[in-house]
Amino acid sequence: MKTNNEEGCGLCNATWGEYHRDIEGEDMFFCCNICADIFQNMVEEVKKRTGWNTIDRVELHGNYSSGRECTAYSGSNQFKYYFRTYGDGRMMKFEER
Amino acid sequence: MVDCAVCGSRFSKGNYNELASHLIMLAKKSDWSHVSWLNRNITKARTDEAKLSGLLSQYYSLKGKGIKDWIIRDFVHHFRGSNPHPFILAMQSYNVDVLKGYAIEHHHFLKQWIKSCSYVIAKTDFDEVQDYELENIMTELHGYGKDEPSHHELLIRMGESLGLDRKTIIQSKPLPATARAVSIWNDIASQRTWIETMAAMHSLELVANRDLGRYGAKYPYFNPDILSGVQATSEVREFLREGYEADVSHSYVALDIIEKYCTPENLEDIQGSYLLSANAFSDYLEARLERGEMIENKQ
Repeated sequence: MKTNNEEGCGLCNATWGEYHRDIEGEDMFFCCNICADIFQNMVEEVKKRTGWNTIDRVELHGNYSSGRECTAYSGSNQFKYYFRTYGDGRMMKFEER
Repeated sequence: MVDCAVCGSRFSKGNYNELASHLIMLAKKSDWSHVSWLNRNITKARTDEAKLSGLLSQYYSLKGKGIKDWIIRDFVHHFRGSNPHPFILAMQSYNVDVLKGYAIEHHHFLKQWIKSCSYVIAKTDFDEVQDYELENIMTELHGYGKDEPSHHELLIRMGESLGLDRKTIIQSKPLPATARAVSIWNDIASQRTWIETMAAMHSLELVANRDLGRYGAKYPYFNPDILSGVQATSEVREFLREGYEADVSHSYVALDIIEKYCTPENLEDIQGSYLLSANAFSDYLEARLERGEMIENKQ
């Protein structure tokens, strides 16, 4: 799955760490397991709310403190949402936008 | 000693190479707490040991000013800067559940607070330090009779005015993040020096300080309209006003004492203890939000 974070971690774009996880059949790089957990939970939540089988790309803007404004794309469909997590990665808030 | 702000590992004085090596080793293991600290405080870009050592040296440098200025600027960056802590963002509007979460978790904070202040008293003979902490304990937990209830009593009254039972607050168990933070503060107070404990605890009062705009604060502790509006109960207004007005002088007095007794020998220890505490405080503030979410979801 593609994200706009092209240099580093799929969630936060940091280049520290050496953590990889299979997301939707694709090997993705994350700086830590918490970012991977957050990303994976986010993908599952989007699929649950949209009914999509796959997600092609996610654009994420924001950070830990303000939360992240996102757009997910699947074929010609798009889904806008906002989410924020606790520091340990658990979902605090997820809202459709 | 130079401390790792995340795990408290201690390295020889002034040796940022050792700290850089420690952080890089843990970043290679993708240890989330160390990676997260690097991302939020130093850089999100992977660097080699020499460059990271230089960045750490800059981060810990007083830049020609004192420890007071260093603590305030770091605290503002973490909690009230352009990327404020989520709890600060939540307090920019009136939210009953957030305030209920505040009431329950802060009870545990205040119980630890007076223990930490007591350790300071026990570990020093300086009159001004003992006097300061004695007064602080009285203000925070004991109060001065009916006319001047303690901060703790005002907290409970705020919770009651929002529908919580006094017993519920006092008999509650802290959420795990609060319990971990309380344990860190207790360890600092019991194992480290009085000046480190003072820095660890009284720096946290900056969260409510109204004077931090000149240090780069972008957000107040809470939206001041809450104090003048009709939405909030009088007990909420009284609790917030008390902290808002009192803590300005309190936190500066403590930081002035720390600055007075800070020496080149204890500087890094003070910085390390402050950073450990600030990290714990960030998790603890999340626990206030989490408790609020739990209460909201129950209703």
